[in-house]
Amino acid sequence: MTTATETMNLTVPKKQKASKSLWQHAFSTIVKDKLACTALIVVAIYFFIALMTFLGIIANDWGATVGPSYAEPSADYIFGTDIFGRSVFLKMIKGAETAVAIGLVTSAISLVIGTTLGALAGYFGGLIDELVVWFYTTFSSIPFIMLLVAIAFIMGKGTSTVFISLGVTSWVGLCRIVRGEVMKHKDREYSQAASALGAGHLRKIFKHILPNISHVLIINFSLTFESAIKAEVILSYLGLGVQGRPSWGTMIDDSKLELARGVWWQLGAATLAMFIIVLAFNILGDALRDALDPKLKGK
Amino acid sequence: MNLYSYILRRLLYVIPVLLGVCFLIFIIFNVVAPDPAYLLLGRHATIEQIATLHRELGIDRPFWEQYLAVVKTAFTFDFGYSWSSKQQIWEMIKAGAGPSLSITVPLFVITNTIAISIALLVSFYRGKFIDKAVLLISIAMMSISSLAYILFGQYFFAYKLGLFEISGYEPGFPHFIPYVILPIILYVAISWGPDTRFYRSVILDEVYQDYVRTARAKGVGELSIMFKHVLKNAMIPILTYVIIQIPFLILGLLLAEAFFSIPGLGGITIKAINTSDFPVIKAMTILSAVGFIIFGVITDVLYTVVDPRMRLK
Amino acid sequence: MSEKILEVKDLVVEFKTDRGTIKAVNGVNFDVFKGKTVGIVGESGSGKSVSALAIMGLIPNPPGRVASGQILFNGRSLVNMEASEMRKIRGNKIAMIFQEPMTSLNPVFTIGNQIEEVIELHQPQLSRKEREAKAVDMLRLVGIPSPEKRVKEYPHQLSGGMRQRVMIAIALSCEPDVLIADEPTTALDVTIQAQILELMKKLQKELGMGIILITHDLGVVAETCDTVAVMYCGQIVETADVKTLFNHPRHPYTKGLMDSIPSFDSTTGHKKDRLKTIEGMVPSLFDLPAGCNFQDRCVNVTEQCRGSLGEPMLREMELPQHRAACFNPLKEFEGKGL
Repeated sequence: MTTATETMNLTVPKKQKASKSLWQHAFSTIVKDKLACTALIVVAIYFFIALMTFLGIIANDWGATVGPSYAEPSADYIFGTDIFGRSVFLKMIKGAETAVAIGLVTSAISLVIGTTLGALAGYFGGLIDELVVWFYTTFSSIPFIMLLVAIAFIMGKGTSTVFISLGVTSWVGLCRIVRGEVMKHKDREYSQAASALGAGHLRKIFKHILPNISHVLIINFSLTFESAIKAEVILSYLGLGVQGRPSWGTMIDDSKLELARGVWWQLGAATLAMFIIVLAFNILGDALRDALDPKLKGK
Repeated sequence: MNLYSYILRRLLYVIPVLLGVCFLIFIIFNVVAPDPAYLLLGRHATIEQIATLHRELGIDRPFWEQYLAVVKTAFTFDFGYSWSSKQQIWEMIKAGAGPSLSITVPLFVITNTIAISIALLVSFYRGKFIDKAVLLISIAMMSISSLAYILFGQYFFAYKLGLFEISGYEPGFPHFIPYVILPIILYVAISWGPDTRFYRSVILDEVYQDYVRTARAKGVGELSIMFKHVLKNAMIPILTYVIIQIPFLILGLLLAEAFFSIPGLGGITIKAINTSDFPVIKAMTILSAVGFIIFGVITDVLYTVVDPRMRLK
Repeated sequence: MSEKILEVKDLVVEFKTDRGTIKAVNGVNFDVFKGKTVGIVGESGSGKSVSALAIMGLIPNPPGRVASGQILFNGRSLVNMEASEMRKIRGNKIAMIFQEPMTSLNPVFTIGNQIEEVIELHQPQLSRKEREAKAVDMLRLVGIPSPEKRVKEYPHQLSGGMRQRVMIAIALSCEPDVLIADEPTTALDVTIQAQILELMKKLQKELGMGIILITHDLGVVAETCDTVAVMYCGQIVETADVKTLFNHPRHPYTKGLMDSIPSFDSTTGHKKDRLKTIEGMVPSLFDLPAGCNFQDRCVNVTEQCRGSLGEPMLREMELPQHRAACFNPLKEFEGKGL
């Protein structure tokens, strides 16, 4: 038994090295993939713009009247103006902040709930597993859009409603995957070796198992991010969107009354801004999955 | 495990899930939701009026009784009355189902047929230009907001070009046809991307299996490999994906029905949200959850029929 | 000498990858004779499976292709043959079985169905009844008990050994001239391995087919093959009849492979020697050294192996039909038998 434990100990550093090289491999794959590289740059630019508007460095004066109501796009007004004569371009830029905030907060909430429940279920099994499985089966039995609408509706208007309703409705997929992965990993030698070394449950979950399934979390992050940005539009349409600052969802929603007058630029600008980042996340998500998911390797 | 005991267990599992769903709905609508008195009676309501209302709505009773009432609704579909139209909700659902189905059924058939055919085609030419192009187009198309499709489509094709009815509905076949064509086209465009991507990945999972190599070594032609060997295996996940869409057909299209003034359940739901019509939203939530659970069971049972590995085990 | 049915001449198979084009098979020659077994031995990545897939016309293209060389089956060239013509040969004249019996059968079709499919393809004159009867016969032939019942079963209801028997039944149902067996026993238990090899030998006698047996296991080669080709980095480094090769290996790589088999002296009951391994690693196909590919692992390496004389070519050794690609072959009786 002692010798068995000793050989197992030896596999611990080895495994960590292997998971590092998985990331190195993934990195080199993505760098080589021009499309994925471009997508990564696009996402970085959006994040940068969001940070700049958050700090008030750019688009701080989005609320100012710069021209007549509904001015067409021209040299003076790149994407035209809205009903109050505000620059649609600046609203679009400011909207990036809202979109990135929604994406980040939603992903963070779903990451915390999904990973915690999934890891607990997969690690401890038994009754805890049964309970978690029952809980997410229950949760996913109410269709996403109805649950989202119900929660948002009950919570009332407001930016926090958008965050919370999107966050608590998008953890199920992640939870299911984490549960499966943790189940697979907890019986691997390296984690058995960790218990042989006297690691406690929490330490095993957080220090040994979760780092080995971090690729799942990253892939899921890009998925949650883009679906949150898309769902925000629907919430805005239902009158449950963010308040007091521009978002692409409210811009698209506003345009339902403007189109009949031929004012298409607000719809166009918001759709374009959203299209580019959602497309980038979709491409990035695909590339990450190809690069990080060993199951798909060699295809 | 024996097949019949598996099916029985699966059926029994419906009970805790249904109770859980009812609990969730109860939490959302009976515990977290704000008091509807203000909404219904206005700000000048007297205490007596509020108490009467609470009694009428049954929200003065203890929580466990309210919870049982939700569970009862899930079985009886007795959803009560709408606050805004005062109609019986079950009657509204019956009236709205027809218009919804007149859009969703053709949409369901067209989208899945197109998506599965294209997925088969690109899997056949996997890695070639057409495969990459289709993949990129489908990703691009699913990156556009569905609301943008509807707004632009209605504005451009119906309003500008006058090719279709802008909005409205006439019940009865074939009168409804002119009204549903544009929503159907738009939704095919919306759901084509994700569906094709899903079917493609399911089929590609099979294309790389060892049994495909065996079939080639036997001298089976590529077309026969695709349609006989691969498709029969891929049918299992495809079937799941298709069947679980069925309960949502009756609920209609949330966004499109409102925009095109189609009196279906999707439009009713939107109207309920705009008018804060609690009972209707609650009814739609329960209805969709019950439909999802029932069809989930049907899928799992069908699985055992399609997949021989599930049988006799 | 019996009739030559398959001839592989100077076969080169290339694969395009992100990092450039590699030659997975580089100038391979061997012949298959009626009723005889050729063993192809080598480590994984040595090109033995790729050679087999090339014969079957199953190199995935892209990224792979047969770049040059000839594959002659009864005098007909299989390289660049019309796809429809090739399909008539596959599974009919040349059949193949694979390493993974657990996944090589289609899970959603019955065993009978999968045997009947190949019969239907290549013997369309048979009626449905006859096909069904033949499927049962084939299962009986490969030693599956109560075949009438088994034809109606699905692959998951059978054990690994039984599934490999089914694969053999599928491969042999059209009485092929050549059977390619790619590691047919690797995934199986040792006792089952012996049964499957025994079965293949027995059926070879009955049907008179030529077999190409691909394996990394020299023990399997010693038991079943008539001639052997040892492959390294896409090339054959030594070839001979099985007895000569085992008794007088001339290439240091062959010797190394033999020394890494545990041997046992039956008279004393002691282990003969300490187990040896071949030092170093197989070089990457992207980065082959100049000269001999085996230079960095070889015990006999000299300056001339490092490129001054170019690549070593297969050349005749003292015994007939024995060829090795080495500048400094081992002395005639240096290598010892099993």
